[in-house]
Amino acid sequence: MDTFMRRFGTFVFVALMQILFLNRISLFGYVTPLFYIWLIVRFDSYMKRTGMLLWAFSLGLVLDMFSGTPGLNAASATLLAMVQPGIVKVFVQTERYEQLIPSSATMGSRPFAGYLLLMTVLHHTTYFLLRSIPLGDWSVLVLKVIFSTLLTFIFMIVAERLTSSSGTKR
Amino acid sequence: MRSLLDYLVKYSYVFLFILLEILSLVLLFGFNDRQKLAFVTSANSVSGSIYELFSNVDVYFNLRRENTLLVEENARLRSMLYELTDSQTVDSARNMSRDGVIAARVIDNSVRKDDNYMTVNKGSYDGVGKGMGVYNSTGVIGVIMASGKSYSVVMPILNGNTSISSKIKGTDNFGFLEWSGGDPYTAQLKDVPYHSNVEVGDTVVTTGFSSVFPENITIGTVADVQRLSNGYTLKILVSLAVDMSDLGWVYIHSKTVDPEIIDLQQQLK
Repeated sequence: MDTFMRRFGTFVFVALMQILFLNRISLFGYVTPLFYIWLIVRFDSYMKRTGMLLWAFSLGLVLDMFSGTPGLNAASATLLAMVQPGIVKVFVQTERYEQLIPSSATMGSRPFAGYLLLMTVLHHTTYFLLRSIPLGDWSVLVLKVIFSTLLTFIFMIVAERLTSSSGTKR
Repeated sequence: MRSLLDYLVKYSYVFLFILLEILSLVLLFGFNDRQKLAFVTSANSVSGSIYELFSNVDVYFNLRRENTLLVEENARLRSMLYELTDSQTVDSARNMSRDGVIAARVIDNSVRKDDNYMTVNKGSYDGVGKGMGVYNSTGVIGVIMASGKSYSVVMPILNGNTSISSKIKGTDNFGFLEWSGGDPYTAQLKDVPYHSNVEVGDTVVTTGFSSVFPENITIGTVADVQRLSNGYTLKILVSLAVDMSDLGWVYIHSKTVDPEIIDLQQQLK
């Protein structure tokens, strides 16, 4: 069970990483990893639903302030936090759901990878969909979602490796 | 009644979710007013100062290159100065002094989005205001979109809403420079008359029609000329002189417009 301070630490870490480093990455002019959803991915099943929503919303809002996109990250992050508990349940057996911080150790590496992928696809789809309103080119939108998802996914796998091997959880 | 209350408490997160989403979407679609945008983007002092903090570290890594550029520009300015004292009258020098230049540093920048913005560390206290042109020693960058007290947001060429009055150097054929996303090194020059004699490699410069930029600031070079089927105008691809992804110090052009011009324009409206 993550304490408030530890979660706040993760919050600051993913926000700084996104603002100072990842927001500057742009492969082929389109693809940007949105690794900050790591905070939401790691929400544990002890958390209150309202708490989850507020954490995600504040993270989105902070990122929006720095990216010049008012409401965009806030909307997509809040939606992700809303569906997160449901998605966890898809990938774990019900009896183990009672106490769980999503990771490859608690879920098994395959279900965890599936969980990460589904979370990322959901988030990136809403994010890029909202961003490209009014909808112009569908194919570009789909490409952005696919490649950004891949990149975010790789970042999260690396983060998972780092946190599980060092023993200190971020 | 009791069970209804229990129900409401149990599912309070659903209401919170709806509330937060509405709030986000209002922020997302409600901020069309570009002036208000300054407060939620990096023109506000909180995120502005944090960006500046990190940019202060960043700037050291570019010192060598920045210095080279400054020296080159100094050389160019000196040569212009000599020309001025040699051949031009005092009267035209006085005329030029109405153009003010404010030096600023880019502290946040993007090139990969469909609508890019950048932030500079000068604001209304330094005399920066909406509609002023931004350029550096290599060429045109963009136009000030909104100013906070000590920071301003620039709408660069790489923004779908930017339109800069431009011409082919040495001619009077002018058009508007626009950008439609994708490649951050290429923009389009539109509305140049069909009969214009434009060739690949020609230099594109500012017109100086508006007070946004001084005349003859380099924008880029012509990369391709397409004759549109409508038969009235050319579509010209311009390869930009400035590498938008790599900016340090910039100049902001603050021209005090002759009140007579403003007066005339007001009368026409």
